[in-house]
Amino acid sequence: MRTFDIVRRAGRSLKHAKIRTILTSLSIAVGAFTLTIAIAAGEGARQYTDTLLSSNIDPQILVIAKEKNFFEGGQSGPQEYSEDSSLMSRPGANPVAVLDQEDVDNIEARDDISSISPSYTISAEYIAGPDLEHKYTVDVVQYDMGITQEVVSGELPELRTSIEDDQIAIPEAYVELLGFDNPDETIGKELTIRLQKTTGVSTQQGKDFTYEVVAVVGRSATALTATDSVQVSNSSARAMSNFSTEGTPSYQKYVIATASVVEGVDPAVVKAELVEQGYGVQTAEDLQSLLFTIVNTLQGIVIGFGILALITSVFGIINTQYISVLERTREIGLMKALGMRGRHVSRLFQFEAAWIGFLGGVIGSLLAVFIGVLSNPAITEQLTLGEDNYLLVFEPLPIVLLVVALMVIAMVAGLLPARKAAKLDPIEALRTE
Amino acid sequence: MIEINNITKTYGKKKNAFRALKDVSFSILDGASVAIIGKSGSGKSTLMHAMSGLDKPEKGEVLIDGVDILKLNQKTVDKFRSDKIGFIFQAFFVQANESSFDNVALPLEISDVSLGARKRRVKAALNKVGLSDKEKQKARNLSGGQRQRLAIARAIVNEPRILFADEPTGNLDTTTGASIEKLLFGLNKKDGSTLVIVTHDADLAAKCDIRVYIKDGEIEKIVKSKKTKKVKK
Repeated sequence: MRTFDIVRRAGRSLKHAKIRTILTSLSIAVGAFTLTIAIAAGEGARQYTDTLLSSNIDPQILVIAKEKNFFEGGQSGPQEYSEDSSLMSRPGANPVAVLDQEDVDNIEARDDISSISPSYTISAEYIAGPDLEHKYTVDVVQYDMGITQEVVSGELPELRTSIEDDQIAIPEAYVELLGFDNPDETIGKELTIRLQKTTGVSTQQGKDFTYEVVAVVGRSATALTATDSVQVSNSSARAMSNFSTEGTPSYQKYVIATASVVEGVDPAVVKAELVEQGYGVQTAEDLQSLLFTIVNTLQGIVIGFGILALITSVFGIINTQYISVLERTREIGLMKALGMRGRHVSRLFQFEAAWIGFLGGVIGSLLAVFIGVLSNPAITEQLTLGEDNYLLVFEPLPIVLLVVALMVIAMVAGLLPARKAAKLDPIEALRTE
Repeated sequence: MIEINNITKTYGKKKNAFRALKDVSFSILDGASVAIIGKSGSGKSTLMHAMSGLDKPEKGEVLIDGVDILKLNQKTVDKFRSDKIGFIFQAFFVQANESSFDNVALPLEISDVSLGARKRRVKAALNKVGLSDKEKQKARNLSGGQRQRLAIARAIVNEPRILFADEPTGNLDTTTGASIEKLLFGLNKKDGSTLVIVTHDADLAAKCDIRVYIKDGEIEKIVKSKKTKKVKK
């Protein structure tokens, strides 16, 4: 018997048992729906992460720490104390070995590093506008040359170029606080940042640093930076850091430093060399794979649920097909009496199961695409993913593969009932009593 | 020609063993009409199953055109049945939710007949049994007599050498039964196929060329009609 004819007969048999077919398919559809959503969410999350990273992070960037395993789940518990150890205590965490000025200078001296900026510790008292009346707490960070920022007003230099030492970039939130009416008004104005020495000695010393506003940066949906911090140039940050930490153990000690690798040199190569020297290094690619790992884990969990649903539906198929075989004993007997081979009878039932898998897969995935496309704008808004970024990205190939896989699974599930049908004795099956 | 030589069929094992057929032998010439007559449990159905390759007696031979079908493997027996045998059952066994066409097409699908030839032969078979106008009707919408005609169309669509009919009129009223009988014997004469009817209906049996009476698994007697010399013991 031709496969085509068997497939057609299988399809017709299912049509004659519409309700049973639909119900069994729906159980598969639940699994297919979950899996389609999971695949789409994973794809969407990866694409989003990719957009996020490529629009934010310079691929030439290296993040360097003193400890080798700094980026691999943090440091290994309590560290042995030693007086000159460059351990820095951090609130709520174990002390960590830190980079000192020598490390920074050594790395900067390398030919393949174009610049390095350590993470400075700056404890500012307040920031004040030109009138020195509005004073607000502030977090000062150094200007990151490796990321692209959304500029609301003013201008920032291009990638891998720093702002001037007397310049400052402020987030939009400060515009009104410091007494300006709009972002444009702030450009070129002078701001004062008050620093306090953190020596712990009673003689409190303060110092004012003044800067000219070069740009107001906005909060972009795909920005990774904490845009509530004001940004100053690398050397300004160093000056401020040195001032506030002078005389303390954390003077010229840095948890991490961000280095920029010279264009044309593979950051991975530089990383390998630095790791050999004992540093902990993370490249932009590492960061990406780290984020992907998180995405993959979350996706794995959802897929797990989908598979659970599928396993349930597999038993549904087996049950349905067994009942179908019992119901159609006569029909099977007749077909066998007419000379249909056992394996063709088996195939008939397996193709029926495959049809059920196909239907379930198509119903589930189409429903998922339909609901996903409808709810994408709402999800984007809820999660502030930014325009044209969608959490659920449906690609045709995975869906097709999913449907095919479901057909195969259904066929496997239909194997047992199909074999029962194939082994049926036509004489027994055709007994009229 | 069908030759049955010393077939014995036993059901069950050891103490519960029941011999449905005991050393049965006879032969039928091509084109004859044969009635196998016996009470229920006499072994007549078992005999039909053995002759059609559905069942395998543990002893003896069933020679059809000189080939012992009991010695063939399953695949060849299946092919033999789909090519050379037609079945008509008391309960019709038509597929109620399939159309007349698809019911009749089943044996052709099984024996890999091409789509074009299938169409032609199904139409011809439906025409022979007088159901040309019911081609697209679902079998469930047909009357009892029409269903049996449909079953006959399905049995003859492969142009079988041997047509087995198991109580073909058992479920029908007298008038419908008579027309089915007429149809069966007509086909037997016209196509020259061998017709084997299993029945306990003496009137139906009387119309056959040869009557094989079976009792407790053994042949009681074989009666040939005087009008024909086609059959020999």
